[in-house]
Amino acid sequence: MSPELFKATNVIVQGITGSHGRFQTKAMLTAGTTIIAGTSPGKAGEVVEGVPVYATIANIQKDHTVDISVIFVPAPFAKDAILEAITAEVPLIICITEGIPIHDMLQIKQHLKNSKSTLVGPNSPGVMIPGGNKLGIIPANMSLAGHTAVVSRSGTLTYEVMAGLSGRGIGQAYVIGIGGDQIRGTSFVECFKLFENDPHVDQIIIIGEIGGTDELALADYIKTSVSKPIFGYIAGKYAPTGVQLGHAGAILGSSDESAAHKKEALTRAGASMYDSVTALVQGVTDTVHP
Amino acid sequence: MKLLEFEAKQILAGAHIAVPVSTVIRKGDHPSLQTPLVLKSQVPTGGRGKAGGIKVVEQESDIDSTINNLFQLSIKGFTPAVILAEEKLNIKNEYYLSLLIDKPTAEIRLVANKNGGVEVEDNGPATFLNTEIHKNNFEAVGQQLADQFDLQSQAFALQDLVEKLYTCFVSNDATLLEINPLILTTDNEFVAGDCKMELDDNAAFRHNWNFEEKPAEVNFVTLDENGTVATIANGAGLAMATVDAVAERGMSPANFLDIGGGANTETVLAAFKRIVEYPYVKAIVINIFAGITRCDEVAKAIIAAEKQITSLPPLFIRLSGTNFDEAKILLDGADIPLLGTLEDCLQAAKQVAL
Repeated sequence: MSPELFKATNVIVQGITGSHGRFQTKAMLTAGTTIIAGTSPGKAGEVVEGVPVYATIANIQKDHTVDISVIFVPAPFAKDAILEAITAEVPLIICITEGIPIHDMLQIKQHLKNSKSTLVGPNSPGVMIPGGNKLGIIPANMSLAGHTAVVSRSGTLTYEVMAGLSGRGIGQAYVIGIGGDQIRGTSFVECFKLFENDPHVDQIIIIGEIGGTDELALADYIKTSVSKPIFGYIAGKYAPTGVQLGHAGAILGSSDESAAHKKEALTRAGASMYDSVTALVQGVTDTVHP
Repeated sequence: MKLLEFEAKQILAGAHIAVPVSTVIRKGDHPSLQTPLVLKSQVPTGGRGKAGGIKVVEQESDIDSTINNLFQLSIKGFTPAVILAEEKLNIKNEYYLSLLIDKPTAEIRLVANKNGGVEVEDNGPATFLNTEIHKNNFEAVGQQLADQFDLQSQAFALQDLVEKLYTCFVSNDATLLEINPLILTTDNEFVAGDCKMELDDNAAFRHNWNFEEKPAEVNFVTLDENGTVATIANGAGLAMATVDAVAERGMSPANFLDIGGGANTETVLAAFKRIVEYPYVKAIVINIFAGITRCDEVAKAIIAAEKQITSLPPLFIRLSGTNFDEAKILLDGADIPLLGTLEDCLQAAKQVAL
C-alpha cells in the first residue's frame, strides 16, 4: 500500500442506490470526495446525488479510470461485488458491508492473492484522510488534518479516538478502519508499513480488540520494522469470551487472544498502551503537546 | 450457530457420510426400538458422556425408563428436548477427524489423530495431522489421512470421505465440523460416532435452516446478574470499551450490548426491556457514536422507553455523530439531558451506582 492509493480521485460507489449507499454518497460528496459514478444492477441511467449510475464497473471503465471503489452492497451480494471490483482491477476496494459469510471471504482471499487490488474490510467504517478523501462512513466533521495515523478494527471506537484527538488539536494523517471480521483484506501490519513509510506521519495509534491474532502479529512486526512512536488500546478486558465447541481449538493450540495478552505483547514491542480511550487520548496529548 | 448431534448427523447423512441407524425421540413419543441400542441426550454442551447423558441399553424392558431418566437429567444446566436412539456399532477402532477454518491464513484445514475419543486432547500436538484442504487436493489429503490412521488399505475410502466432508463443510457454510470418534466398524466401514457442527449465521439467507437452537443473540451478553450499571452502545468495539470504562471506574457492569449499525427504535427499546430485568441496576450508561446508526433513532427509543417502562433507572447519555442535532432537539423536547463525553456519564453514574 502506498499513500497515493488513498489520495486517488476517481472514486465509485457500488450499491449506490440502496439507503446506506445513497445517504453515505451524499456525506462523502459533502466532505469533498470526488465520486464519478456508482453501480447498481438494473438501475443504470439513474442519478443519485448528481452521480450517474451504471450497471457494472466495466461499463464505468468505458468512460473513466476507476481508482477506488467503496462498497455498500448488502451481504448476500457483497461477494459478487468485491469479485467484480477485483476482476476490474480497481486498485483500492473498501467494503463497508457487515455480515458477509465466512466462506465467501475465503473465496475472496483466494482471488485477492494474485490480483492488482487492495481490499480494506469488510465490516469496515472505511478510510478518512482529513483534508482529502472520505472513503466510507467515518464522520468527516470529527476529523482534523494532521500527522497522527489511526488504525482500528472497530468503527465506533475509531470515531471516538478521532474525535478525542481533534478536540485536543491533534490532527490525523490517516484514519483507517480495517474491519471487525476475522477474515479481512488489509491487516494491521500492512497499515503500519504504510504509516512507517509515509513522512507525513509522526505517530501511530492502534485500537485493537480481544479475539484473533492480528495484534500479536503486529507486535512482532513493530519490534523489527517500526521506528515511530506508537500508542494503543485493546478493547474487551472485561468482555465475555466465547464458549468453544469441540476439541479442534484446543488441539490447534490457539494462542492467547485476550486483551491483557495483546496489551502485554504490544507493550513489550515498545508501544505505549492504555486501559481506556480517555487514557489513550490523554497519553497522546501529553506526548504531542507536553 | 451450534448444532445438536442429531442435527449435525442429518446433515452428514445428506452428504452421503455414514452415520448410525437412528431414531429421534421427543417427549411423549413411543417409538418401537430394538436392543442393543445407545440412547444419547441431545444437549448443547460437551462432557455429556461423563455426566451420564449416554446410555447403552441391552434389555428391551429398560428402554422406556432409560429414556425417561435422560429427559430428566440436567447436564451443565441443560435438559434435552430430544433423545437420539442409535444402533450399537461393532467398533474396531476410533479416530479423530475435523474440518475448520484457520482465520489468519484464511484456509480450511483438516485435523486428524489416530487416537480418537473424549481424551483426544491428551495426544501430543505433534501426533496430529494438520493440513490445508481445498478442492484440488483430496487425493493427497486422503493419503495423508491413511498414513496418520495407519490404514494403507483404506486410502481410497478415506479420500472419498475427505471429499464428501469438504463438500459438506463448504455447501452448508460450516465453520466447524468435528467427527469424534470416527468409528471404523468390524465390517471395515467408517461411521460418524459423534459429530459437532457449527454453521455461519451470516449465511442463513441462502439456507433453509430450521434447528432446535436458535441463532444466539450475540449482541447482548450478561456479564453480572448483580451488576449495578447497564450499558448500551453501538459497535462491538465501543460496547467493549464502554464496559471496560465502567469496570475501570470500580463499578460492576451488568451487561455488554452492541445495538449494531443501523439500529432502529424497536431494537433499542427491546434492549431497555431486557436491562430492567436485572435486579440491582441503578444506572444505565448509553454511549453512541453514530456512523451508519442515526442518533435521532436512538433518541426516539430513549423517549419511548421513558414513557413505556416504569421504574427505569436513571439514564446517562452520550450521543455523537450522524444526526446528532436532530436527536438533541428531540431529547430537549422530552426534558432528557445529554452529557458531553463517556467520562461525564461515568462520573455521574458513580453518584448512584457505587
